[in-house]
Amino acid sequence: MNITSGDAGMGARIQTPTPTRRRGDALPAALLLAPFAVTFVLFFFLPALETFYMSLTESSLTRTNAFVGFANYATLVRDPSFWAALGNTFYFALLTVLPLTALGLLMALLVNHFTRASNWLQGAFFLPFVLPISVMTLIADWMLQPSSGVVNYVLGMQRAWFADLAWAMPMVAIATIWWTVGFNMLMFLAGLRNIPLDLYEAAALDGARGLALFRAITWPALRPVAGMALVLQLIASMKIFGQTYIMTSGGPFNTTRVTLHYMYETAFTQSDAGYAAAIAVAFVVIVVVLSLVHAGLARWLARRNA
Amino acid sequence: MNPFPVRQAARLLAIALALACAPARAQVEVRMWTLLSGGDGARMADLVQRFNASQREVRVTSTTLKWGEPFYTKLITASVVGAGPDLATVHLSRMTNLAGGGVLRPIRAGELQDAGLKSADFYPRQWNKSQHAGQTYAVPLDLHPLVLYYNKTLAGQAGLLDAAGTLKPIQGIDALSAAFRAVKQATGRPGMTMESSQSSYAIWRLWVSMLAQRDVPLIRDGRFAYGAAGVDSLARVSSWFQQGYAQPGLDYPASTSQFMGGNAGFMINGVWEVPEMVRATRRGTLGFEYGIVPLPRMYGNDSVWADSHAFAIPANEGRPMTPEKARAALRFVAFVSKHSLGWAEGGHVLAYRPVAESPAALALMPNRLYAGVPRHVIYDPDAWYMGAAGPLQAMASKFLPAALSSQLTPAQALRMFETEAARLIRKRAPRY
Repeated sequence: MNITSGDAGMGARIQTPTPTRRRGDALPAALLLAPFAVTFVLFFFLPALETFYMSLTESSLTRTNAFVGFANYATLVRDPSFWAALGNTFYFALLTVLPLTALGLLMALLVNHFTRASNWLQGAFFLPFVLPISVMTLIADWMLQPSSGVVNYVLGMQRAWFADLAWAMPMVAIATIWWTVGFNMLMFLAGLRNIPLDLYEAAALDGARGLALFRAITWPALRPVAGMALVLQLIASMKIFGQTYIMTSGGPFNTTRVTLHYMYETAFTQSDAGYAAAIAVAFVVIVVVLSLVHAGLARWLARRNA
Repeated sequence: MNPFPVRQAARLLAIALALACAPARAQVEVRMWTLLSGGDGARMADLVQRFNASQREVRVTSTTLKWGEPFYTKLITASVVGAGPDLATVHLSRMTNLAGGGVLRPIRAGELQDAGLKSADFYPRQWNKSQHAGQTYAVPLDLHPLVLYYNKTLAGQAGLLDAAGTLKPIQGIDALSAAFRAVKQATGRPGMTMESSQSSYAIWRLWVSMLAQRDVPLIRDGRFAYGAAGVDSLARVSSWFQQGYAQPGLDYPASTSQFMGGNAGFMINGVWEVPEMVRATRRGTLGFEYGIVPLPRMYGNDSVWADSHAFAIPANEGRPMTPEKARAALRFVAFVSKHSLGWAEGGHVLAYRPVAESPAALALMPNRLYAGVPRHVIYDPDAWYMGAAGPLQAMASKFLPAALSSQLTPAQALRMFETEAARLIRKRAPRY
């Protein structure tokens, strides 16, 4: 047993570390774990292993034609299309990660502040998140239509946003932010509601108000939430596929084609599953490394601020 | 003792079951997948219905899937795991890809003969395109080339018609550009219309035609070989848009409705738009008289891009077709070939000679206007990545339209296309 002091309250009740009881605990524990473990092995671990193996072969969608070692990776590092797609993915992440986190925080603060309208506001902010991607993209597409869309009507122009070199990716980003920001808001809201009210009361007695309250109490309490939101958002943004696939098809001329879209085209349009697997593996490595760097950075910042 | 007559009930049930099953057991079901939508889809559905009504031994059920890459991806994956249909419509331009990749099952000479089909009944160009490595893999149905539609009212105002009200011959790329300009200047409306938005295929078809007319190969020895002629051809088309003879950025429906609405002098498109023209004329909703000519000779010869629909039998590995089923499927194919006159009303040029050369087919309008085209057609070159909605066309559809909307110069567009395609054309043909 290694029940730490923090868990003492719980530990006191279940603490009887005799060997027989432990074995007795093992079975329910295993039973409870089993569904997750089986699902993980069957649907994640084994496919991941197989994907890695596939990346070492020349394969079509259904057949392995030859083992080629690391040839696919050698091609990959010299493939301008892959780097361009990766660049587009980063560009999208750049456009979405910070705004999504910041907007989520802002919305949570608004919901928390306007207590009378809070349910209404919360619903309005969260509603887009429940839309399936196909519905969200359709709505965005209608709104951005060159001649009949409401956005062009309001702006008095006829711009084909998704065909526009400068605007295609930002428009996808804006649509995505509108669609998913509600989730971040909920996270921040949960964080906000965990802050004990007496902290604010005490600070108010000391004469603090407005921004000072936010800087001294709200933000420090929310910093872990913000850190988590940023990491989750980074991973979510790197995984972008559906939005650009439906709204821009990767155009104009591949400037919005992201990594997963390139992988999809390689696998399905060109039936080159081996190379697509290599893209997938390389991409996983990149995302994992990024997340670790990000998490490390966050921890370092937290320690420095502490 | 037994109030309920179990035995009689059982006997009755057995008889009823036997009656219900007997016709079904005798009938062979042929499942077909097609990529034909719109008017083509309706015409094929009609042929299927007529075939099913004509006899009782075979029943064809048809499923329509989304045209293009989704259709072929599904056909390829389903067929190689043995879950494909018994019959499929495919494009002849995809033969190297599908037959070479093991997706299709060869059709034996004896099987064709039993169905009453012989190679001599098909035009050599289509029949040869149905062969791969010495075996027959498909039965051709039609041919659909690119043609030039014109609006007689607008062309007349621009002085492009002769006394009989038909288009004066246009020879050479300069003459074609001049015709578009003349309409624009005389009427203020676009001289021509053509699908030109992102991911459109029209420019590929036109560009490939132009290369063939200049006798310039697209690819030679695994490298792009179109060179300066390719850049120049794309630039000529691009200039129609830059000069304002054509409106850039139109998607397919917008481009055809521009022409149908009387707002463009010419339209470059496939013959598959013919039924719409015929229907609108019949209903009286078309505000003008239209004409069709073969794609003009812009350079050295009359070559023009075309593709063909054909019937093929998926290989369905691990679930080989019974001879009975193959016979049933080919029986349907033979029926469609022999009743393909209705198919020609879709604008298509027929591949089955006995019907194509019948007086009824020869008299069919407006098909008669481009009857000479089949002699000059070219398909995409033979390579595994070629053909309708194939990997290379899909790539070209991303870059070439950008040259029409001036987002890229023609040279840039082609250079980016080549960079993207480099890995593809180096790769070995996949065995699916």
